[in-house]
Amino acid sequence: MAQGSIKKADLGKLIEAVRRDGRFFGPIDQGDGACLAEVTPDAVLKLDYANFTLPPKRMFFPRSEVIATHEASGMAAVPVQEGQVVLFGVRPCDALALTYLDKVFVDKQFTDPYYRSRRERTLVISLACREPAATCFCTSVHGAPDGRAGADILAVEVGEALVLESLTKAGEAFMTHHAKLFASPTPAQRTACDAQASEAAKKVSAVPIDGLKAKLSGCAENAGVWDDIAERCLACGVCTYLCPTCHCFGLYDEQVGQTMRRVRAQDACTFPTFTQEASGHNPRTRHGMRMRQRVMHKFCYATENFGDIFCVGCGRCVASCPAHLDIRETITEVSQ
Amino acid sequence: MSPSVAANPYLAHPVTIRKIIIENEAKDLKTFRLEFCNASDRAGFRHECGQFAMLSVPGAGESPIGIASSPLDAEYIEFTVKRYATGAVSSALHAMDEGDRIGVRGPYGNSYPLAQMEGKNIVIVSGGFAFTTLRATIRYMLDKRNRARFGKIVAIYGSRSPGELLYKDELKLWQESGDIDMHVTVDKADQGWTGREGFVPTVLGEVKPSSDNAVALVCGPPIMLKFTMKPLLELGFAPDRIITSLERRMSCGIGKCGRCNIGAKYVCKDGPVFTYQQMQELCGGQF
Amino acid sequence: MRDVQDKLRATAKDLLASGKVELVLGFEPASLPMRTRACFARTADAAERLVWNEFCSQNLAAYLPRLFEKPAHIRGDWTPPKVAVVTKNCDARSIIGLVKEHQLARENVVIIGMPCQGMVDPEKAAATVDERIAQACLECVSPSPIGADILIEGQSRPAAADRFQRVKDFEALTPAQRWDAFVKEISKCTRCYACRQACPNCYCKSCFIEQSKPSWAGAGDDLADLLLFHIGRMFHQAGRCVECDACVRACPMGIDLRLFTQKLVKDVEELFGYVPGVSLDDLPPLCTFQSDDSECFVTGPGEE
Repeated sequence: MAQGSIKKADLGKLIEAVRRDGRFFGPIDQGDGACLAEVTPDAVLKLDYANFTLPPKRMFFPRSEVIATHEASGMAAVPVQEGQVVLFGVRPCDALALTYLDKVFVDKQFTDPYYRSRRERTLVISLACREPAATCFCTSVHGAPDGRAGADILAVEVGEALVLESLTKAGEAFMTHHAKLFASPTPAQRTACDAQASEAAKKVSAVPIDGLKAKLSGCAENAGVWDDIAERCLACGVCTYLCPTCHCFGLYDEQVGQTMRRVRAQDACTFPTFTQEASGHNPRTRHGMRMRQRVMHKFCYATENFGDIFCVGCGRCVASCPAHLDIRETITEVSQ
Repeated sequence: MSPSVAANPYLAHPVTIRKIIIENEAKDLKTFRLEFCNASDRAGFRHECGQFAMLSVPGAGESPIGIASSPLDAEYIEFTVKRYATGAVSSALHAMDEGDRIGVRGPYGNSYPLAQMEGKNIVIVSGGFAFTTLRATIRYMLDKRNRARFGKIVAIYGSRSPGELLYKDELKLWQESGDIDMHVTVDKADQGWTGREGFVPTVLGEVKPSSDNAVALVCGPPIMLKFTMKPLLELGFAPDRIITSLERRMSCGIGKCGRCNIGAKYVCKDGPVFTYQQMQELCGGQF
Repeated sequence: MRDVQDKLRATAKDLLASGKVELVLGFEPASLPMRTRACFARTADAAERLVWNEFCSQNLAAYLPRLFEKPAHIRGDWTPPKVAVVTKNCDARSIIGLVKEHQLARENVVIIGMPCQGMVDPEKAAATVDERIAQACLECVSPSPIGADILIEGQSRPAAADRFQRVKDFEALTPAQRWDAFVKEISKCTRCYACRQACPNCYCKSCFIEQSKPSWAGAGDDLADLLLFHIGRMFHQAGRCVECDACVRACPMGIDLRLFTQKLVKDVEELFGYVPGVSLDDLPPLCTFQSDDSECFVTGPGEE
């Protein structure tokens, strides 16, 4: 494990060093709050943000991408962009989400080559949270404001400095490679890191998650509670597209000009068309059934298939739902 | 490392439509006989009875279709596809001609447990165009190399009308052969029909195949499945000896896209073959 | 406002207790501060949950088409419910629009008109800027309820003098500048369709953007596909949009859809003298023809 500290004012040097042989993405204010964007020499990093509107999963699993073209000899894969990518400022909840996506996209039987390729060439530097939002509930779902899973390096803001700690071999190699930019963190800085994290954790809302899977398992599709909750759902895709773990997608063949291509685009189980079959048959006809699918997928099926709850408590779905539904209330209500 | 074609599960392999057989009077069911353009793709495609593959029509999209040919049909693979007016892929596929090129990826999903079925009597119950993977299974079991591995084979297959029966020539051969006790029925007979008339579940009750040392394979429309389970249970088939195949809308076929799950199980990866017992557990007893 | 809320609850209780309606669709507190959410009150007791405050911004008319759709599992006859809806004037205009487009029968809905002081934009409030009222409400020319079946008395904000200043500024740009501004906004879209789902006018069972046969657009986020969706949706709003701002509030990406739909509103008003959702009697411009109708869409903008 490597440790180091760097003045926030000196981050530019690190960015410059990374940009020599790769791309550096960090929190940039583009007018609508911070978003994770490529840092160019004239860009200004914005460090006072709760989280990005869009989850960093899009760096590995974009909203849509052309994955292949149809050629005379068969299909040809579209390669992903070469070169190293560094993501800086990913919140620990979103980094944790990447470990869940890894389980879906990189399994023994079938590996998603696009996801894996991006994951392998991307170094994730997460930034611990100091000011969790009112919608955050990471500590209830295996996360923490300074959670370490999924990131290669954890950065913590301490005053005017960032204290970095490598979490993986790739992270350690990165810190060694850039060692001359880092000073040794002082004991005071290290103490401050832990103190800040426990202070932040106190501000995170709590959701009763114990025994949830068993309670949900007993809550059948025709249980009225799902229809009751879904009554105010508008059936858009905000919660799924903004979710750092939602990964449902579709493959689409399109013709653009003379090119036949295959597109992989994120899709949402909240849309009625998601399960609609060519015959017109739809196994999930009601809003309530679709609402249940989303909740069960995260809190029940994922536990069964992967041993994890596929929710990291980032609160995006709570903050952005146009009908102001709150997943924290939903799971509380359903499990009663 | 960039995605290579070989390790890329989302890419279809090119195939040529060698033969198109119009199966029914309504002409909305066609069997497509496909040949791989590349020998290596053919060698890599090793399916078992009950599996499906994704058929892709460039520019239109992909559909999951059960494989209707036997694994022993070495030269080609066959798929019987129903055309839906609202289905982009099935419509595009039905508009294609022999010699045209499409794509196939797969095979996907689990298969009928043929190894466990060895030495047992086999009861096959099917209706409509869901017969396809069971046709593959019958072809496989009736092959000279395999027939002795299975006990008595009773099959009941029905469609709405005589014109809607699939694989008519094969059915005739099977009815005449002594290797299988083949019962073909139609919901409603027409003037030329001399065979059985009656719904599949009713005929099942009349034929009364023994459940002794037997396994039942059942495929059909949901309404047929619903009314077939009761007579099967009454005949003494245990829920784990009744095997069926499910359908859902699919996109990836490999358990990632999140579309085809029933409970925690993905029809594409954990299925499509499930026992009646598993289905009841999945659907909370509501099947 | 407390007083208004009390009157609303009393009215809702009466409607439910007397059996005049089966459902009062109003607002209740949501889990976050400065947010309310839809309240489906079906008993007189449940009417106690109803609130009225400056955070009742959602246009509840968006829920109506599905409430009046016969449930798939019911075979045979079905009687549509009687529903009372708590409305701001813009929401009430949406309901009139839905009635005109035969999505529900006028006699099945009781419009409860609320005095409207303008709704607070939670983002503005969080940023502690002086003006907390949402842009749409600042530009509202008819905040007072009109055409309601039941009027809850109270003070509404004064009508804005001119709501089209931003549109006029936009019109003053060159075509290239306007296009750039449009593309810049639409490029943010994630295609979550929240704008569509929150819009009472978007009740189509099958949206053109999701049709597969024929397929009008690709499924991804190519700019051409994003533009096609938004242009298609916006033009379906011509002569129908009541400027309630539901699409803008719903958008997680902060796309300024309002500027563009308002341009259509202004055009329809200027070219055909039509204001949607005000009267049940006048025909929407896309349903009628008059010999002196402007044909500048044929000859070119600004030419007659």
